[in-house]
Amino acid sequence: MASHTSRGLLSLGRISASALGLQRPLSRVTYATNVSTNYSAGKTGLPDRGAGKFARRPRRAPGEPRTEKMPVDQDWTAVYPAAAPFRPGSVPLPVRMGYPVKRGVPPEKKGNLELIKIPNFLHLTPAAIKKHCEALKPFCTEWPSALDTDARCDAHFPIKAESTDYVSAGPSVRNPAARTVHLKVKLSSLNLDDHAFKKMLKLVGERYCRDTDTLTITADRCPLRQQNHDHAMYLLTVLYHESWKTEPWEAEKSVADMEEYSWEDSPSQRNLLDTLVRVEAAGEGGGGGEEVREQLLGRREVQEYKDSVTRLKNEGESESTVMLYKEAVKKVLNL
Amino acid sequence: MRPRPCVRGGAGTPSAVSPQEGRFSRRGLFSLTRILGGIAHSVPRALGACSANKTCNIIRSRLPLASSTYFHTATVFSSQPSSITVTKEPDALFQRVSLLVKGHDKSVLDSYELFATMAAKELGIAISKVCELPKDTERFTLLKSVHIFKNHRVQYEMRTHYRFIELSHLTGSTAQVYLEYVQRNLPEGVAMEVTKTAMEKVPDHILKPMWEEDPIDNKLSQG
Repeated sequence: MASHTSRGLLSLGRISASALGLQRPLSRVTYATNVSTNYSAGKTGLPDRGAGKFARRPRRAPGEPRTEKMPVDQDWTAVYPAAAPFRPGSVPLPVRMGYPVKRGVPPEKKGNLELIKIPNFLHLTPAAIKKHCEALKPFCTEWPSALDTDARCDAHFPIKAESTDYVSAGPSVRNPAARTVHLKVKLSSLNLDDHAFKKMLKLVGERYCRDTDTLTITADRCPLRQQNHDHAMYLLTVLYHESWKTEPWEAEKSVADMEEYSWEDSPSQRNLLDTLVRVEAAGEGGGGGEEVREQLLGRREVQEYKDSVTRLKNEGESESTVMLYKEAVKKVLNL
Repeated sequence: MRPRPCVRGGAGTPSAVSPQEGRFSRRGLFSLTRILGGIAHSVPRALGACSANKTCNIIRSRLPLASSTYFHTATVFSSQPSSITVTKEPDALFQRVSLLVKGHDKSVLDSYELFATMAAKELGIAISKVCELPKDTERFTLLKSVHIFKNHRVQYEMRTHYRFIELSHLTGSTAQVYLEYVQRNLPEGVAMEVTKTAMEKVPDHILKPMWEEDPIDNKLSQG
């Protein structure tokens, strides 16, 4: 019943179209269920199945997959020129993937979702990579051969600017951590004298590493990387120039502010000289004054004692330093 | 219409400096005349051969791209012969470029590592280190049921595998080309962090303290 009325409507529709004089060659294709001439050879649908049920078009059988016709020495880069999902009909390999059923094998590639889900590298075979690189070569430049070792690089280009780029999939391509810039300089490559070096150490504090003699300035406060880089260079410039300046209040630097231990004018020197002077006085009974002290200072044992105490204080306590101190004390006091 | 590919060419420093030569001048290294012209694969890459104080006068003749007809793979450029622009801007120098690739599947990272190392070798980039960092596992325990049943839980974990590739001694142009190539072919579900260490010379204003030229009154520095 319904089909009758729909067919009636069909004919009405056609008449109206022809009456309007509109030429719609496509309309013949859309109502193709009644017409059998449009079918290609090899259809399996029965002729009277199409009558009225034009919603379900009989499909033609799929032909044999392309893999059967692929020659062995084909150009694979033409089959997969760009990243594409896995097509079982285009990949002539007997791949199996998936968890096998009991006493079975992993499922075959035809209709296998696991093979489609996993990213494939079929477009990046060695032949394809070679072709890509051949095309990219003209855009690359050579590294200057004079800078082949790290030492030479450091000598000519002492400032290193480190930054990180992030690539990931997500709602946004941007990563806020990408704007940080770390500037690393070896202080030995900068033009600093003794006072400037010590002042620089005091100014930067924790940013300096003694073992590698590297100053690291991290700039993070600006929204763009270029701005952070400029800010870090500005900080370096300011530190450099400020460390060469001598302020009047720097004259108040006390022993506690000193970075290294120096034996001159220290309690250790005073004690030693007092002891030695007393020893001399007890032995000879006479003389004294400044000349004796200076004479004592000139002696080799006193110099050795000075070296050992300085090493102990600056380098810390270790076997070698303590042994040196012991030997020096024995020599000075003639034990 | 894609923008014209542009190369910041030129060597940062002279390519041939004998050890006995000592300190060469740092100025005048970055001068390359602007060269516009067609590119052919057969023309030798003479950019690196520019010596310090001479300007390059290489004139590239217009030769058609012979190999483009056999080039089936999709590329960034159009099939017309592309012209490469060499600018006066000095090329950046990267002492180290390190790639950290993160993913959930180890086999995908294996394949990607093969691809990245092969691409680096083809482009003539020195690879200093390729290693696999130990994986990170994030585990958490949730209640299995929507309501009550506290004793029945379900546990999930997320594994992140890593690959670390370190390349050394890259120029700015080479780094740009390689990174773009490698990042465009990054598979889905894989993330990458690229750390570049650029080398720079000591800028002119840090060579000498400025107080030598114009000494400032001490009174000004107070307060």
